[in-house]
Amino acid sequence: MASTSGSAAVEERGRSERKRKRGATGEHGEGTEAEPYKWRTRRVHEIYSSKLLDAIRLVRSGSPSASSSSAAAASPPRSRAVREAADRALAVSARGRTRWSRAILASHRRRIQAARRARLRDRTSSSLSSRRPFSSSASSGKGSKTPALARKAKVLGRLVPGCRKLPFPALLAEASDYIAALEMQVRAMTALAEVLSTVSASSSGGGSGSSSPA
Amino acid sequence: MSSRRSRSRQSGSSRITDEQISDLVSKLQDLLPEARLRSNDRVPSSRVLQETCNYIRSLHREVDDLSERLSELLASSDMSSAQAAIIRSLLM
Repeated sequence: MASTSGSAAVEERGRSERKRKRGATGEHGEGTEAEPYKWRTRRVHEIYSSKLLDAIRLVRSGSPSASSSSAAAASPPRSRAVREAADRALAVSARGRTRWSRAILASHRRRIQAARRARLRDRTSSSLSSRRPFSSSASSGKGSKTPALARKAKVLGRLVPGCRKLPFPALLAEASDYIAALEMQVRAMTALAEVLSTVSASSSGGGSGSSSPA
Repeated sequence: MSSRRSRSRQSGSSRITDEQISDLVSKLQDLLPEARLRSNDRVPSSRVLQETCNYIRSLHREVDDLSERLSELLASSDMSSAQAAIIRSLLM
């Protein structure tokens, strides 16, 4: 397995990851990186940054004349649109291997379809009510968990998209992948914000290529 | 679905042992940032789960703040495709 770092601790963790991967997530293991280290590679960061840039450009072009008032700050709908676009790009970068990523994309699709149907029928049908396709999976396997653990597991299941009725081991696996993905999302969005603020600062300052800290 | 298959594969009676649980919880603990949880042996699982939830919530907040910042930056700047190419190369 091509591990990205050479330290012994990481290697060992990678081995135990692979062992546990067989049981918990049932992936047909083609992944070259152990999870969740796949979220730390330069490649996935670049892929996501590119998708993110495309996504938020779409958001911008989607609502150029939506700002009715002359407010200087960003209108809340737009920041929510950016957030959702970023989440969707993140889910796409997961390549459909995790439940949380599929849940994000599925809920977005449902919302689009509902809006389309509402427009066609000229009715206000808000079908955002929970109709999860994977709610059929039995929530067995609690084992001998104490009530406190069960409560916290339920809270965790609500935080990770699409994982409310997941049994405990799968929930933890999803949560660990989700955390790694979120960390990458934060890194990429921060970098993009830095770049954009630098670019807009230099362009409003009127300098052409005068602001390049080597 | 692959999840159903994997569940039957991991234990015949679909009962999770305490050892498996603490195993998974310690793996989760490794992911939490050092500031939240000093990794000594006597951290109870419920504490790890609690810190995990807190950490996810704080990450969500960060993403929300960044989304707001990005939407402000978007509102104030027009972006031609040439500028987008430059930005893309700056991100790589």
